[in-house]
This record gives sequence, C-alpha cells and structure tokens, in this order.
Amino acid sequence: MKTDIPTGICEELTFANFFRSHAKSLRNYLYYKFGNEEQAEDVTQEAFIKLWENCASVPPEKAKSFLYTVANNTTLNQIAHQKVVLEYSKKSNHSHTDTQSPEFIMEEEQFKVKLQNAIAGLSEAQRSAFLLHRIDGKKYHEIAEILGISIKAVEKRIHGALQELRKQIDNIR
Amino acid sequence: MKDDVTLARWLNNEMDEKELKEFEQSPGYATYSKIKEFSAQLTVPQADMDSLYQKIDARKNRDTVKVRQLNPWLPRIAAMLVLALGAAYFFISTHVTSHFAQNAKRETFLLPDNSQVVLNSGTEAEYKEWNWAANRRIELKGEAYFKVAKGETFDVVTPNGTVTVVGTQFNVKARNGRLDVTCYEGKVRVTTANKEEIILTPGMTVGFANGKNLQLPNEEGDAPGWLEYETSFSKVNLPDVIEELERQYNKTITLKGITPKSPYSGTLPMNDINTALETVGTIYHLQATQTGDTIILTAE
Repeated sequence: MKTDIPTGICEELTFANFFRSHAKSLRNYLYYKFGNEEQAEDVTQEAFIKLWENCASVPPEKAKSFLYTVANNTTLNQIAHQKVVLEYSKKSNHSHTDTQSPEFIMEEEQFKVKLQNAIAGLSEAQRSAFLLHRIDGKKYHEIAEILGISIKAVEKRIHGALQELRKQIDNIR
Repeated sequence: MKDDVTLARWLNNEMDEKELKEFEQSPGYATYSKIKEFSAQLTVPQADMDSLYQKIDARKNRDTVKVRQLNPWLPRIAAMLVLALGAAYFFISTHVTSHFAQNAKRETFLLPDNSQVVLNSGTEAEYKEWNWAANRRIELKGEAYFKVAKGETFDVVTPNGTVTVVGTQFNVKARNGRLDVTCYEGKVRVTTANKEEIILTPGMTVGFANGKNLQLPNEEGDAPGWLEYETSFSKVNLPDVIEELERQYNKTITLKGITPKSPYSGTLPMNDINTALETVGTIYHLQATQTGDTIILTAE
C-alpha cells in the first residue's frame, strides 16, 4: 500500500494519466453494453468522478477494477436499447481484395453487413466480451477483469457469441 | 465441438496444429474464419476523449469544493429540540389540574379567569389550564359553589348533566345520580343528561334524580348554607342525608332496621354532630349509638 505517499490517484497528473490509459476502453465497453454513445460517455464520466471522490481510499493498483465495478453497478434509466453501430475500417490491409472479381467483393460486402447485424443481435454479455476481444484487442484475462467474471466464463461467452453469429449469418435456425 | 470453449480457443489462436486441422474440416469453418477476419476490421464510433476529460475535470474540482460535511451534531440537536417541544406541548396541552376535598375538609381554589370555586367535602374537580379561554370546562363529582368572575362563562360537567354559566354565583351538587343546582346571582343554564334545558334565575333551585325533575322550592339567602356549615336539604332521601353527614364529619354511619318513608327537607349543622344527629333522630325517631368513628342509628 502506498498510502504514505500523499499523491496516488488524488494527484492531478496521475489521475489524468490514468484517464488517458483507461477511459477509452471503458467507454468502448460501455458502448458495446448500452449501444448508445451518450450513455456510454455519461457513465464513463460518473465512474471517473466516483474514482476521484474516493481517490484517497483506492490504491492505484485497485483503481482499474474500482472503475469497472462502479461502471457495472451504474444503472441507468435505460432508454430503449439502441442498436450497436459499428463500422469497418476503410483501409483494408488485405492485398488480395483488389485482385478479386467484383462478385467476390460484393459477396464480401454482403457478409460484412450480415456480420454487423448479427453482432447487433447478440446478447449484451456475449457482445461485450466478443467486441472487447475483436475491437479493443483485450486478452481473455483482461476481459474477465472488466466484466468481473472468470476467464472460463469469458471463453464460454466468446464461444457462444461465435456460434450465435454463425447461426445468424448462415441462417441456421 | 463437445467442449463449449473450443471456438474461443481458436479465436485466440490457442489451438495446436492437429486441433486446427480438425477444426478446418468442420462445416462451420468457412463462416467462422470470415467472422474472425472481418470482425477484426470493425471500429467503434470515436468519442472526443479530451472534451470528456475536461467535463470530468470541471466536475471534480467543483464537487470537491461542494463536499462540505455538516456538523453531525446539528441535525441531532434539531431533532432533540423538536422532540422536546413536542413532548412539552403534549404534556402542557393534556395536563389536567385536579382539586380534591377529602371528607370533613373543604377546598377553595381559583380558576385561570379568577373565578372562585369552593369544593364541599368529598368532592373532585378537574380542568385543563391549557387554552382555558377557548375551553372553559370543569368536570365535577360532588358539590361545589362557584363565584364566577363578571362576564366569564364556563361549563360545569357532571355525570348527571351540564351547567352553563354567565357571570354568576351558583351551587352544583352532583351525587348518586342526583343533580341539584341553585342560582344565587346572574343566570345559569342546566342541561340534564337527557338533554332537558332549564334556565335558572337568582333564588331558583332545580333538582333532578335519575332524570326526573324534583320540583324543589326556591331557596333563601345569597350563598349556599354549607359554606357556613348549615347545609340545607330539599327533598333528600334519608340515606343521602346520612351520606352527606358521613362526608362532613368523616364518620361511618349505619342505619339499622329502618325503611325511611319520606325524604328530608330542612337544614342540618355540619360543625356539631350531636345536634345534627339529634335533629335527624327526632324527625325519624332514631336512636344514635356512637363507638369511636362508627355511629349506628336504630329505631326507637
């Protein structure tokens, strides 16, 4: 415990750095969860304010889990859950795409749309875990920490998400 | 795919070659690999993290200023005051002042409006001092003489009826289901238990026994006789006369083998027991035998 040092999270600079390294992940996670940018940013704000208010009692190594615990416990007057809207990055690094036939490209585009819809149709739990891995590149153990569940449970959710996505895309009922 | 995490292991590139080969043969592989490929290209709408930080920064500084603890004693003291005031109000507003005259004793007291009340022996009176002006009301069990301050009104409530007065002098006697009221000055309204109303003017006496008007004659004098230890009785049954003597002299008086026919009318001294007993004895032909505080009256 570094309680003797008067700085910690309470120090402006530490707090700012902590924000820079964790705010974006938190906000993205909340976006996957709520499907609403405004709510995601509101809850991110609340969580950081709570962390600031409790900075004296939260040691730096516990700050991250404190942040996610607060965020997970913040219940909103949920406006109807909105569809999670995700875009594909413009710069596709697949060298073969420009050599492919137009039909192939069209098929690909169709698949992309199907995938977007399928992701929007996932359960909140499966979507959060899946997107934290795919978009934010989080490791399973990091996702486990964020969601407050075991690594095994994360793997189950990812597995379930993939099965569900395939079902949606291949129209298996 | 018996194990429910294989897909997760594949997505995280944890499969060994053999496993991978097997998986590549499975029917869903084509779709899964496309999901893997394209989901990696997904992006999330960008948020303006700098302005978000500024919002947080502004709020955290404002909030730190705002967080000021109240002195924890203030609400406690306030709560105590409220409780104390409430208790005081309850106590004062429901507080009943009682006066009691024991046997062979009299008691004189003043009401909040300076009206004078004299309680005869063995009498109890109760009233509330709180808000007397709006609630002038005395509960009486026994006999009392009231000398009411000019212009003041109040009610004397007895089990047998209510007496309402306006600046007056009057006597109320409520004993054993009988109510006697004599007016000496001003006006007195008597309302019996069965809602009969009678207005008395000076000199008038009204008596009710069990709701029946006894038609008593007018009374002489400007104050009840008992104040001067010369109690007058008007059509009072002998047992009630004996009871009054018991109260006044604080003795136990027993009637033996007598069934009195006519009620008693007249005066009896209340400071001379021998004369009183003699008078009663002469009228009803009784012999008095006294042992200590007990007197036995037998027929001659």
